[in-house]
Amino acid sequence: MKKILILFTVSLAIGITACKKFLDVDPPYAQDAENYFLTEEDYDRALTGAYDLLQASFLSVWIGDIASDNTIAGGESVNDTRGLHQIDEMIHGGLNDELRNVLRWNYTGLTRANFILEQQANPDAIEFNEKDHFFAEAKFLRAFYYFELVKFFGGVPLIVDERIGVEQSRQIERASIEEVYAQIEKDLTEAIPELNPVALIKGRATSGAAKSLLGKVYLYQDKFAEAATILDEVIGSNQYSLIADYNDLFTVASEGNTESVFDVEYSGLEGGGYNCLVCLEGNAGPGFNGIRQYTGPVYGDGNSYNLPTQDLYNAFSASDPRRDATILDIEAFIAAQANPGSISYAIGAGGHTGYYNNKYIKRQGEIGLPDNDLTSPVNYRVIRYADVLLMAAEAHYLSGNPSTAQTYLNIVRERAGMPTLTISSVNDIWNERRLELSCEGHRFFDLVRTGEAASKIDGFIAGKHELFPIPQVEIDLAGGNWAQNPGY
Amino acid sequence: MKSVLFLLQILLLSSLSFAQEITISGTVKDTKGEPVPFASVKVKGANEGAETDISGVYNLTTTNAIDLSLIIFSPVHEKKEILVAGRTSIDVVLEGIKEFEEVVVVGYGESTSKELTGATSKVSGEDVEKMNLSRMDQSLQGQVSGVNISTNSGSPGGSSNIRIRGLSTFGNNNPLILVDGVVYDAAGLNALNPSDIESINVLKDATAGIYGVRAANGVIIVTTKKGKLNAKPSVEYNAYFGIQQTSKKLNLLNAQEYAVIKNEMFGNGGEPLPFNNTNLGIGTNWQDSIFQNAPVQSHNFSISGGSQNTRYSIGLGYFTQDGIVGGEKATFSRYNSRLNFSTDMSEKLKLNSVFLFSNDVRSGLPENGLGSVLYNTVNAFPTSPIITPNGNFSYLDEVSDIINPVAQIQNQFNSSVADKFVGKEEFIYDFNDHFSFTNSFGYNYALVDSKVFSPLVWYGPGKFANTAANEDLESPLVEIAEDVFIERGASVYEERASFLDLTYESYLNYNKTFKSIHNVKGTLGATVFQRKGESLSGIAYGIPNNSLDFADVSASTADGGFLNNTFSYEFKERLVSAFIRAEYRYASKYMVSGILRRDGSSKFGPNNRFGIFPTISGAWIVNEEDFFDVKMIDFFKIRASFGVSGNDQIPNFAYRALLDGEGVYVFNDIITQGVAIGRTGNPDLKWETTRQLNIGADLTLWKRLDFTTNYFVKNTFDLLFQPDVSAVLGSYGPGGFPPIINAGDVSNRGIEIELGYSTNPDKDLVVGANYNFTAITNKVTSVPDGIDFLPGANFGVGAGVATRFEEGFEIGYFHGYETAGIFQTQEEIDNHPVQQANAQPGDLIFVDQNGDGIINFSDDSDKTDLGSPIPDFIMGLSLNAKYKSFDFSTNIYAALGQEIIRNYERNQPYANQLDYVIDRWTGPGSTNIHPRVTSGPTNNTIFSSYYVEDGSFVRLRNIQVGYTFPSNMMNKIKVQSLRIYFAVNNLVTYTRYLGFDPDVGSGGVLSAGVDYGIYPQARTFMGGIQLKF
Repeated sequence: MKKILILFTVSLAIGITACKKFLDVDPPYAQDAENYFLTEEDYDRALTGAYDLLQASFLSVWIGDIASDNTIAGGESVNDTRGLHQIDEMIHGGLNDELRNVLRWNYTGLTRANFILEQQANPDAIEFNEKDHFFAEAKFLRAFYYFELVKFFGGVPLIVDERIGVEQSRQIERASIEEVYAQIEKDLTEAIPELNPVALIKGRATSGAAKSLLGKVYLYQDKFAEAATILDEVIGSNQYSLIADYNDLFTVASEGNTESVFDVEYSGLEGGGYNCLVCLEGNAGPGFNGIRQYTGPVYGDGNSYNLPTQDLYNAFSASDPRRDATILDIEAFIAAQANPGSISYAIGAGGHTGYYNNKYIKRQGEIGLPDNDLTSPVNYRVIRYADVLLMAAEAHYLSGNPSTAQTYLNIVRERAGMPTLTISSVNDIWNERRLELSCEGHRFFDLVRTGEAASKIDGFIAGKHELFPIPQVEIDLAGGNWAQNPGY
Repeated sequence: MKSVLFLLQILLLSSLSFAQEITISGTVKDTKGEPVPFASVKVKGANEGAETDISGVYNLTTTNAIDLSLIIFSPVHEKKEILVAGRTSIDVVLEGIKEFEEVVVVGYGESTSKELTGATSKVSGEDVEKMNLSRMDQSLQGQVSGVNISTNSGSPGGSSNIRIRGLSTFGNNNPLILVDGVVYDAAGLNALNPSDIESINVLKDATAGIYGVRAANGVIIVTTKKGKLNAKPSVEYNAYFGIQQTSKKLNLLNAQEYAVIKNEMFGNGGEPLPFNNTNLGIGTNWQDSIFQNAPVQSHNFSISGGSQNTRYSIGLGYFTQDGIVGGEKATFSRYNSRLNFSTDMSEKLKLNSVFLFSNDVRSGLPENGLGSVLYNTVNAFPTSPIITPNGNFSYLDEVSDIINPVAQIQNQFNSSVADKFVGKEEFIYDFNDHFSFTNSFGYNYALVDSKVFSPLVWYGPGKFANTAANEDLESPLVEIAEDVFIERGASVYEERASFLDLTYESYLNYNKTFKSIHNVKGTLGATVFQRKGESLSGIAYGIPNNSLDFADVSASTADGGFLNNTFSYEFKERLVSAFIRAEYRYASKYMVSGILRRDGSSKFGPNNRFGIFPTISGAWIVNEEDFFDVKMIDFFKIRASFGVSGNDQIPNFAYRALLDGEGVYVFNDIITQGVAIGRTGNPDLKWETTRQLNIGADLTLWKRLDFTTNYFVKNTFDLLFQPDVSAVLGSYGPGGFPPIINAGDVSNRGIEIELGYSTNPDKDLVVGANYNFTAITNKVTSVPDGIDFLPGANFGVGAGVATRFEEGFEIGYFHGYETAGIFQTQEEIDNHPVQQANAQPGDLIFVDQNGDGIINFSDDSDKTDLGSPIPDFIMGLSLNAKYKSFDFSTNIYAALGQEIIRNYERNQPYANQLDYVIDRWTGPGSTNIHPRVTSGPTNNTIFSSYYVEDGSFVRLRNIQVGYTFPSNMMNKIKVQSLRIYFAVNNLVTYTRYLGFDPDVGSGGVLSAGVDYGIYPQARTFMGGIQLKF
């Protein structure tokens, strides 16, 4: 018996000491974040992950119009996506899930870019020819995400070339607006020479995209001369031109046309659910903007968000073809159909104007499967050549070169089939921006940067609403040491 | 020479001693004639004594005296005093101590309820079986104090939540469930046949700490039935058949009421009225079309017995149940077989072998959420027919996410088949009377096959659930490359998953009594546990003919297999443990026990892999004291325990940052897979720690009334949390999650009372009653730094978060606006001291919680605590009576003081509503309870106390009347006994709650009490027989 007892005790002791190894169980067939970037393909795949968050732009695009005088929030009820309604009414505060998503999603995008850019300082990193090109694309993306953040929130914490931990996140401070812009300019300037003028793969950032974005970044800082210079480079490349028919701009068929400087790419192949909008590979904008419970020709079913206002409709002259290309007058449309009685749609309790966003709308044949009313394959046109021309016009006009401004402006008007216009003040250029680019997510930020917001937006308080509030919970999570934006 | 000396000695001694030595011997047996080993035989008034050996024989030498008396007792038997009166051979028959002869399983050993120092409750298999329910946990509801069972779904094969002593964590609160020592997860309980259960022991306090890192939520030890030694085969057949119906239907608007109210609603919203004619009669009663009577039946057959060295028990069972919603589309059926076999392989080596097999098949409907069958049923319009005159199901246009529930049921095709093989081979070697060495090998293998067929269906234009492209059920086209379209067709999803648990346990037990008053017990052992899971699944499109007949991946006609897809996962986890338990008992009066367990788990980060969990407990049996002289008290024990245990219920590999996020973008119009970090890593991840103090007492009064009470304080620290982290960490992309960290504390304190009473079982009329009561206060005592609260379930659609995990409140408490009646006039609104934006006469008045004179709708400052889903009190009462051949029993369960959120009404102008809306506000003075109806913008639809209801209920869970045929009559037909009975489950429920069923559980901790239209528990009328040969 003693022998057995001893044997038992000994085996127990061995068991306990050997168990450390026994507990080293690795996750089967899974890649670890700390043991990555071993091949060029690894870089490529990480970069794809960094591009992914561009697809969350639909939210910024909504807010860009809903916050302005262009559209109202709409939807099923005033409590449906409550944050958008608050922004619409200019009563938004520190509790706003939509603004929190803007903050979260853009930081996720730049964190993924940083995950690649960390490798710049890794002495053991593998070497290959295209590496600097990968870094350049990552810098473009980081600039894109920071630009979104600075537009919405002003100065935000700058995290560059590293991932931080939970402890650090509780100590990090907000950088100034100038510091954020400086980082954006630095990233874009470094990226431009490394990027291809023409994308080898549809969807990749080009040098033209980076230059146009940089031009926009300059314009937002009132650096008109710098903006004019870099935008002239884009125009002078003769790589881009306006397509003939404005009506064709926002269809799937016209994707990748000569006017596209940079698109967010979407697919209609995967569909998706409302529970994870950031996971979608399709564009959620058209599904939300679409006509609620619609059955009839041309359009698909949607959720009646982001509805154009009468004010926007009236801003167009009746002869401007851009009006009907931008705004769908639903009753007029139905009346014009062959069998109006068979067409039906529902009005959401979140608001109704009779108008729908006709640029990003659910159309028959552009239905993202397998969901019917959510996603669409239509790309979001982030920067169109018309935008470049109008930005350049503004930059030239305000840096004392009205004749070039005149030329650029009229290229845009001519394409729309509108008579040429002699610029009498910068307001003409700003107004043209509204007519050309409304419902594309630019209006609110244009109004803010041009100082027009207080006069155009009901409820807009100057000195407060130029920036959106940082969600209070994010201030708390960051250790409470961020100052809230003024007025909130 | 020797013998001479010996003789001399005796002579010498006998002449010297004044009094005479006497040697008494005999056998101690119990009332069944079984010898009682280790019984104490003491001389009254002296320190001398002896103990019986294994065959109950004792030998005692003492000084003779005229009044020499022996006191004989054992831990599980009544004390007996016998006057020796000169006899040298005395055989004693001991009677078992009522209730306390019970053996209690405590983990790696047994104890008796008298010796127990911890808080343990026991339920007999008989009580479980009597409930006639498909699951053992459902049968436990209301049977044991401190255990709260709430039902997630009343559907066949549905699950419930088992919460021992409250909610102690944000994450997984399931107790550790062991069936004959083999781990069962809560989901696996469906496989267990309640008829196979001998007993259930619930370890509630820190003495569960013998299971260390898995014990913080309590431990449930299920023992299956075993045979008896030297018993003839006993054959039993038990069966019942029942009809189930819904226990409740809601009072919804009929067509006419609906039309009137909708007209008013749209009118108030300034929109055209939908109904020109409101004289529409009753219209469609959707509830009548989906609720049905459904059968349930159960058959169990068992043989048990034993020879001199061998015991066996064999069971076979079949159970099948259709749903009261969905009928054959919501079924559960199960086959069970069981073999328990014990044999003495040699004089010292014993084998216990258990083998359980089950095969269960379940099919179900979408439940308890937006889009579930009952949700659609509640919200479907009474003005729409089920089937339109042209033969189609009606489309219920106007609301995109409400579909025809009858059509929905018809289009559900899913099944899940689980085969489970569970067993244990246990070898016990008795070195001698005091030492035994146990080695056991347990396994639990489950193979789960699931299949879901999604035919092409069309529920109407714009419906979320459509899979067809149009009314003609044409397949949607999918563009797989530029201008290349293929038909998607009907699809089928199949999964095969297998799970294998292996457990090895090895431990040494020691038990010895010194000088007949010092009893020492010890347990020393180690265990190794491994769980492995694998799954392979696939989805295939292009199922021919849109037909169930071809619903298999093999039948896919998808062009080139382009759309078909496969998925898989695999995981492995391990646990290594060593434990020691030492118990000391002095003279059946004082007992103390200590436990130390060390666990190593692969779930945790390398910095915190090992943990040590100590427990100490003690008890004092007061009535054994000489000074204790209260006649009515037969037994009085005071207990206390304190210890530390852990909870390791988190996902595997949560401590590591893996590239399992989603990084997908579209390049060249092709969906391109990239990589992204999924959950952020945390190498410091460790278990949750629970410290629990328990003070209790057990009393027996007048030999008939048992009373047990416990007071406990259970504090859980370092909760395993996945709280929000700062956006700047970039954790919120697709497939991204914040890290799991240890932060936050929860406290549960409570009182438990159990009362049992029964009259003399030998009389004609026997009456018995058991009552238990639990009161628990739950409180979050700390949340992670920088977090004010963790948001839980949502109210309505996009109408905000309704439940929270917040410091100072109960877990999952309801958070929203408090209402104070209805604004009757514009004047009232204008003169109201608090400014409430957009208020109109007929709107709810909200209470200004922060006192700033304005109702803030853009932040949380005016929201407050609106109740919680945690009951203040739960109690169970079972009564039974027997008069000659008739027996009667009933079981009543009550949960009081909890609230429920009414969340099954779709806040959409066209959705149907409960008929309380008839009492809506229509003008000044009409009502101060229900607001006006409107389709326009209103704040009445945001989450407020208007949507919170009292969820208290009392339920007659089971009532049963039986008749046992006289034995003389039965003997003639060679039947040992025959009983027939009639029973009803859930006959009556008293509640003010308006929904289907107030017993609203939930999968997630923070979504408890949020009712999306729960599948109600059935009311079942049953008849059964119990036959014994």
